[in-house]
Amino acid sequence: MRIMAACARLGHEFICVYTGPDAASGHVRMAAELAGAGCLARIRSYQDPSELFAVADALGADAVHPGYGFFAEDFRFARRVRLRDRPLTFIGPSWNVIRDLGDKINTKRIARSLGVPTIPGSDRPIFDEMEAAELARTIFAFQLEQGIAEGCVLVKASAGGGGMGIEEVYDLDAFRSAYRRVRNYARRNLSDEGVLIEQRVFDFNHLEVQIAAERGGKNAVHFGTRNCSVQSLGRQKRIEAAPGFDPGSIDYAFDAASVLADITRHSVNMALAVGYDNVGTWEWIVTPRGEPFLMEVNTRIQVENGVSAAISRINGADGVNLIAEQIRLGLGEPLGYTQDDISFHGAAIEYRILAEDPQNRFTPGLGRITRFSWRAEPWLSVSTQVPTVLSGEPYDIPMDFDPNLALAIIRGDDLPQARARGEAFLDGLDLAGVDASGGPLCTNVAFLRARTQTLLRF
Amino acid sequence: MDIDKRTRQLSARLAYIRDIFGPRENASSALLTHRLEEFLNRAPELGVLDLRREVDRLEELFALLEGKLEDELTPMDRVRIVRHPQRITLKDILENVYDNYAEIGGQDEWSVDPGMLIARATIARRMGRKTVHQPVMVIGQEKGHGQEFRNGGSIKPFGNANALYYMRVAETENIPIHTYVFTPGAYPIEDYPGAAQQIARNLFQMAGLKVPVVSVISEGGSGGAEAIALADKRLMLSHGYYSVISPEGAAAIEAGLKKKADRRLIERCAERLKITAKDNLALGLVDRVIQEPALGARPDNYEFFRTLRREVIRATDEVVHAAQGLGPLRALVLRHRGGVDPQDIFVRWSLSSSAREALLIRRREKFRAMSAHAFVDNRSLGTRLAVGLARGLWQVHSLLRHDIFARYKRRLSGRIEQWEAELRALGLGMGSLLGRENGGACHGVPPEALSRLTTLSCPEEGVCRVEDRWVYVSPKSREDRTVTCPNAATHGCQDLWAPDLYGEFAGVCAHCGHHFPMEYQWYLYNVFDFAHAYEFNAELEAGNPLGYEGFDLKLAEAKRATGLGSSCITFETRMEGVAVVVAVLVAPFRGGTVGAAEGEKLIRAIERARIKRLPFFMYSHGTAGIRIQEGTCGVIQMPRVTMAVRRYIDSGGLYLVIYDTNSYAGPVASFLGCSPYQFAVRSSNIGFAGPGVIRQTTGLEVPPGYHRAFLALSRGHIQGIWDRRDLKKNLHQALLTMGGRNLYYR
Repeated sequence: MRIMAACARLGHEFICVYTGPDAASGHVRMAAELAGAGCLARIRSYQDPSELFAVADALGADAVHPGYGFFAEDFRFARRVRLRDRPLTFIGPSWNVIRDLGDKINTKRIARSLGVPTIPGSDRPIFDEMEAAELARTIFAFQLEQGIAEGCVLVKASAGGGGMGIEEVYDLDAFRSAYRRVRNYARRNLSDEGVLIEQRVFDFNHLEVQIAAERGGKNAVHFGTRNCSVQSLGRQKRIEAAPGFDPGSIDYAFDAASVLADITRHSVNMALAVGYDNVGTWEWIVTPRGEPFLMEVNTRIQVENGVSAAISRINGADGVNLIAEQIRLGLGEPLGYTQDDISFHGAAIEYRILAEDPQNRFTPGLGRITRFSWRAEPWLSVSTQVPTVLSGEPYDIPMDFDPNLALAIIRGDDLPQARARGEAFLDGLDLAGVDASGGPLCTNVAFLRARTQTLLRF
Repeated sequence: MDIDKRTRQLSARLAYIRDIFGPRENASSALLTHRLEEFLNRAPELGVLDLRREVDRLEELFALLEGKLEDELTPMDRVRIVRHPQRITLKDILENVYDNYAEIGGQDEWSVDPGMLIARATIARRMGRKTVHQPVMVIGQEKGHGQEFRNGGSIKPFGNANALYYMRVAETENIPIHTYVFTPGAYPIEDYPGAAQQIARNLFQMAGLKVPVVSVISEGGSGGAEAIALADKRLMLSHGYYSVISPEGAAAIEAGLKKKADRRLIERCAERLKITAKDNLALGLVDRVIQEPALGARPDNYEFFRTLRREVIRATDEVVHAAQGLGPLRALVLRHRGGVDPQDIFVRWSLSSSAREALLIRRREKFRAMSAHAFVDNRSLGTRLAVGLARGLWQVHSLLRHDIFARYKRRLSGRIEQWEAELRALGLGMGSLLGRENGGACHGVPPEALSRLTTLSCPEEGVCRVEDRWVYVSPKSREDRTVTCPNAATHGCQDLWAPDLYGEFAGVCAHCGHHFPMEYQWYLYNVFDFAHAYEFNAELEAGNPLGYEGFDLKLAEAKRATGLGSSCITFETRMEGVAVVVAVLVAPFRGGTVGAAEGEKLIRAIERARIKRLPFFMYSHGTAGIRIQEGTCGVIQMPRVTMAVRRYIDSGGLYLVIYDTNSYAGPVASFLGCSPYQFAVRSSNIGFAGPGVIRQTTGLEVPPGYHRAFLALSRGHIQGIWDRRDLKKNLHQALLTMGGRNLYYR
């Protein structure tokens, strides 16, 4: 929806693709409202590029926006967009940038070569057991030196992902067997024996730096930091706050201002070094002792971009739209401003309201929404695809995708104020529905409310 | 003799002639038919004396016309003779040639394979008044005058396995082996073992069999024949045939598989394939031809059996003589053999141990020299001389470096290691005496190791690990199209974009791992580093040794299309720093078929690897079998190359075979299939005959996926299945772990 809004704002025509289950959802209605039914194209699956290209060619599109998921970080899709017989513009970084930064190990190596701090451990797959044991020993010694009483080493398959083939090891004696288990798992299931060995960092803050760079990768700016530490089990973000730290109004155990300065500086430097050429996010973890480590780079616009936009001003003007910036940069327009033109004011918190059960491993909820409304405030903006808000008619949550209901952004002068307003918003939210068994629909509102309290306590 | 009986015999002879010449118009047989009918009509009226006179005259006429017909025999007529139920069989030979015999390993249909007959037989020889019985192992296919259960002499893999077992028995007992080849071809089933696998094993073992082997070929059908025909002396019956494929098969290929080949085409193919005894003798592929009576030997031609007996005795004597020598007088008699029956002079057939080695060398040289002129050699005289010289120098070099120097070096370094270990033990003991703490996992980590945790390791590897992995990218990756995986229905694979599939994915479906075929260049450059390789013997090119009609054109076309001289590329390259010799069979060149040029190149490559102590990799990008247009010059490559392989493996090398796409027939049934290390690239097929051929020859419908690599693995034919993308890694692993002790880098 926000992509379409951005297109409309920039004056570009767009085509909205949708699948069967989505036909009734808000984004399709909105597309129809914005540009008429001619811009709608129904496809069988969001995952089949051939079908997308057929639609694009048939309707004469010039550029493709990959959205937030599926194709946004798939360098093969980006490559195909560029290299096919009838090339299109990919609204996103160049495919080789996506490829280089899409691999965590590779990102780590690039970061290290630029002196950007990364998590202590190996930066290439280890194939030799002796070498692995030596590394683990060094990491334990390293943690001891840092004053971490209970050291922990992470052993993971270098080709793996999604939590498979990862083991935590708390002492060196257990390391060998864990290493072998992971290696055998990797050999069997991934046909790649490479194993990574890293320090396991507990109790960290998850910070992100929003980067924007123009085509050619010459100029890059950042749009501040945000704190995404409140996540569900599967590392899905639930609350995001910008700026990442607020040293002006909150006391931290470490020098938060210099941490923020460090990570933004490193992120922009790295973006320039790799020739980054679109909007992207540098993800950092900050330990309780205030050490930042680069974790990975998201080579796409993220759902939580709004929260960064909310606190940024370009040349003093409000209403920054990062998606519009992304489309503009993606089409090859120059940045048009420098870091000095960007200023930050106030704070913002974003809530993701989902139909899910935080008590039960964040299982997605299914059912029908019957009531959904909130009290309008000047500091509040909510975007939702649920039609109930406008029309009051019930809405069935589609089964095939994340049960995302709404995104709420709350502004404040500083983080404590934003937090208080956020609690007020959640308290005043009227959201009800029935699930498949007829009981009340599970949502994460209570979870969000509870975590808002702990959000900024580090 | 009874007149009735004689007339019956004449009728039988006429029927035989009609069978042989088939539907072809033939004046002689028409005349005979007419005269015999006339005689039979008149017979009741004739008196005894007249009858006898008439029959005498008829018999004379028959003999005359049979002699005339003999001269008219076409190759296809000979094939019909050999296939006729009245053709002599191995049982007849055992009855009439040998003095005593006992069948072993089965009786008639109660046998592992009733088509394979194995017998211990004796030949009696006179030494003055004394008689000496010499034991022989007789092995051969029994067609059994039309007995159904013999399967027409078409041998299943276990029949060949049984034959091999008794060859080993003969080797243990040190008695000569006589093999009789009466087979139209092997029974092409894949079992435990498969047809190709077992023939390869047979060839490999026979290449090193240390007893005299004499082989008599009556019906030599390609691979099935080779399974027992690798011999020191190869005799052939004058009316037999020895061929790469049945004339019908060749005609079917000529005509295209859909249409049915007509009789004239079959006749023509039979002529072109040069399958007769005379042709094979001229090509140097058999040593001697045993003359049969007119229109072929039948079980009552006792004179022929006496000839056969003389010939096999003589052949065995010659083999023994060549290996261990005889007394000067006997040698003289043997050489001149003027009217002396060889069974009157005594030759002891069991060999001494030194003679056994000499026998092997003789056998090797014999096969090495075969088909020497069946390919085109474009090398200049200078090159040839240089190659010969280099070979000699390398031999000396290897002898000095690996056989002499390395041995002493090993001994010396062993001593040094011992001393070093001793000193270390001393230091360690001192340390513990001084009470040094040697535990505590996290202590004693040097500070530079800690800093290594956060800085870039191995900067020489470069910052970026993600780069284009492939040096050579298939031209198919330049088309903007999508490819559907054949497993899409069962595995739910998404369509693949051709540039992704043939570029980055190396032709492997990202979802199910199905391997799409890739060009041989992909392997050459991405696996074997062909850009830095030294290719040799590229000047040896495939020829047309039989003058096969129309083949010159096809060959020139293949050479033009591929830019290669033959379907085999041999080169020396380095893999992870280790020099290796690699031979590649290229599918686009006439289906990767193997002929004389390919055989020669392979043998030279193997010899190179042996002399230089290098590992030898054989990559079969796909092979359809032996090149049928080269006839028996092609078939002979099976034993030829296998013997080179055997010698290489015996001398302690590493011979590794990789199969890709489709590998069938002769090569798999010989030099490819005999390797102890055979691996297949995924989604490849390995077997003896394709499903179509199996249906044609056996009438069996094979299940789909009959030749898949996974089934070959479960049959024990191959030792593993490799992913194409990991080929290089796996080959390096093989270099480190597999092979004999005599490799230069060990």
